[in-house]
Amino acid sequence: MTALDSVLTSEDYRTVKGFFASSAHWFVLAALAGLFLASAMVAPDFPLYKNVAWLVFSRLRPMHTNMMIFGFVGSALLGSAYYYVPHLTRSPLRSPGMGRAVVWLWNLTVASGTVTLALGYTQSREYAEWVWPVDILLLVVFVLTFCNLLMTVLAREEKLLYVSIWYAFGAMIFTFFIYFFGNAVWNPGTGAITGMPDGILAWFYGHGIVGLFLTPLGVGLAYYVIPIVIRAPLFSHAVSLIGFWTILMFYPHIGTHHLLQTPAPTWLKIIAVTGSIGMLIPVLAVLINLWLTMRGKLGQIHADTGGKFVFAGLVWYLFVCVQGPFQSLPSVQTVTHLTNWVIGHSHIAVFGFAGFIGLGGIYFITPRITGRPLYSNKLADIQYWLVLVGLSGFFLVLTAAGLIQGTGWLYGKTVYVILPELHVYWVWRLGFGVLIVSGAVVGLYNIMRSLYGSGAVGDEQ
Amino acid sequence: MRMTLKLIIYGGLIVFAPVLFISVILPWVTISEHPSDIFRSRSILENEGRAVYIENGCTYCHTQFIRSIDWGLGAERVAKSGDYVSEQPHLLGSERTGPDLSQEGGEHPDDWHMAHYINPRYVRPESIMPAFEYLGKEKIRALIAYKQALGFKDADFRIARQRHWKARAVEAYGSGPEKNVEWLHSMVPEPWRHLANPYPTTEAGLRRGHRIYQGFCIGCHGPVGDGMGPAEPYLYPPPLNFTILKDRGVSGGILYYQIMNGITGTAMPYFKRELESEKIWDVGNYVAVAFIGQSDAHGEPRGIDAAYLSPLPGVK
Repeated sequence: MTALDSVLTSEDYRTVKGFFASSAHWFVLAALAGLFLASAMVAPDFPLYKNVAWLVFSRLRPMHTNMMIFGFVGSALLGSAYYYVPHLTRSPLRSPGMGRAVVWLWNLTVASGTVTLALGYTQSREYAEWVWPVDILLLVVFVLTFCNLLMTVLAREEKLLYVSIWYAFGAMIFTFFIYFFGNAVWNPGTGAITGMPDGILAWFYGHGIVGLFLTPLGVGLAYYVIPIVIRAPLFSHAVSLIGFWTILMFYPHIGTHHLLQTPAPTWLKIIAVTGSIGMLIPVLAVLINLWLTMRGKLGQIHADTGGKFVFAGLVWYLFVCVQGPFQSLPSVQTVTHLTNWVIGHSHIAVFGFAGFIGLGGIYFITPRITGRPLYSNKLADIQYWLVLVGLSGFFLVLTAAGLIQGTGWLYGKTVYVILPELHVYWVWRLGFGVLIVSGAVVGLYNIMRSLYGSGAVGDEQ
Repeated sequence: MRMTLKLIIYGGLIVFAPVLFISVILPWVTISEHPSDIFRSRSILENEGRAVYIENGCTYCHTQFIRSIDWGLGAERVAKSGDYVSEQPHLLGSERTGPDLSQEGGEHPDDWHMAHYINPRYVRPESIMPAFEYLGKEKIRALIAYKQALGFKDADFRIARQRHWKARAVEAYGSGPEKNVEWLHSMVPEPWRHLANPYPTTEAGLRRGHRIYQGFCIGCHGPVGDGMGPAEPYLYPPPLNFTILKDRGVSGGILYYQIMNGITGTAMPYFKRELESEKIWDVGNYVAVAFIGQSDAHGEPRGIDAAYLSPLPGVK
């Protein structure tokens, strides 16, 4: 118990709880949507979804991605920020009422975005599909969150700002601007600009939303959880500085690596590839810093449910961020671009890295705000293995399928001829998807019981 | 370095501004917006179709740019920046679960597209594209208009060719089986007509042919080759009933040529990009043996036998 806990009432934590409960629900819905997508690629004429407009693959796909990014991972990471920012500054949240309102606004954003997509209202650019009114709702949430946390930090007692706070503010500022420009909010009709520049803007946004919304919040949360779990200070302030400033410098440049094979300007492609390789600096700075902090204490980390999820998230971060610069190279993209390889990559980024750390945040913080242990560490453990095995398998089979597609096309085979060869991998993917959905359901039950239930399993002893 | 709130907020903005300038504003103002040689503006119906394409997320599985390495697609025309001057939003796409569509206009006639949207497996048995019957005929027609304009002026040229030959094919079909077959065969270049299938009928060859037939032909020509596959109600002229070819001068060469080259104007597409030589001979012979009941496999005139052939009854 820190000194702050005596000042904070359960009222102050309702924002955090609300975000965590939302995250758990969106995880189940988003994972179910993913399962339907996987099923549609194996059995397109299955009567459950055949000719059902709002369940057709191509409408469900943006519902799935946006629910995952904003609904599941976004809620978990924002909820965690609403916890660690007051704690690290020893300053209660400035306005708990506004915090609770933001939870509802955020859920309204994700829900209305999902429903409008189901009805066919879309801006059609990846992760920027939500239409203008939903964009405005989302931006309002970011402005309110920024103001609330800013006032909290300004009223602080603790003078030093810990690295997690930098990342939280970096995320809020950058997400606001990237979302604003990326959705061309000044152009409500289409949410886009014209021609090749629109492709460039869309991918500036598309990669930026992962890189500057999920990444800083995920890294900030890892920076918060790891030292507490192992009860040791962070290895280096200087290294965390390098990581923070270089991610802001490199990340927004790299979007055009999605367009290397299109007629985008060559100079911009060179900047994008250079920036992508440069991303190794911020990523390795974070990972080296955290590794040297926790070296020799992996047992302690894995004894803590939250710590275990965060650690797995950091391993995914290593994988995804070594793979990323590699697959930004034009010669590699000759094989991998436009294939399932990229889908594997995006899943270990959003779900593997940011999603695991988000779940870790929920499991780490929940006992600290309820004053009770988790409802069940056992169930959390079961969820850990379900999603870990599910995602690992998913990643491996899609990477294999992507290599088959890419080399097949390069060999001169058409898309249609290669298609039947991918079927078996997609059946496996569906199977791994079942594990992930099961993990989401187990998590929902456990998180809701932990947040709002009356006690842990076996509390009576 | 002591991190303060001011440093984080103002520093963040100072980093963001040049990045936005370099990676977004600069390309936005410097990319030349000159239309390419094939560009033309779209009609009202084509734009309605584009809206349907957007609403239903077609862009998640179909790209709209051909790369220089896409020689499996022909790469007849690699994408240029000037092809996209009117695109808002862009529909470049990031996945090729389905084929690239940037030059799709005129590859198939409208009736093929109608069957394909009602259920893609009607014409492409191994496709995994969702059925879009729920859109209703009107929206599907708009979507087809948009699809047929992909490729702009090049597409218009291909569409004109489709229309020209469709009129001839419909006329021939209307004049009865005898005349229709005569017309179909007269559209095959002379030397091909007299060419026998150079390879003998073997069990393995028939099995290969059967497999290809199921993956490529069955949707239109049907499981018994009578042209009554599930796509038949949507297509005119309807798919050929192979049995009418018997005793009407069909040859291995004619079948090969029609499978390779398609019959532009009808729903019969060309398969030269999807099937190699052996597969075309085998599926042609499968049709000849299983449905026509007449095969000239390994007939005269033929050259030196291929080295793989084992002793077969009648093979010297």
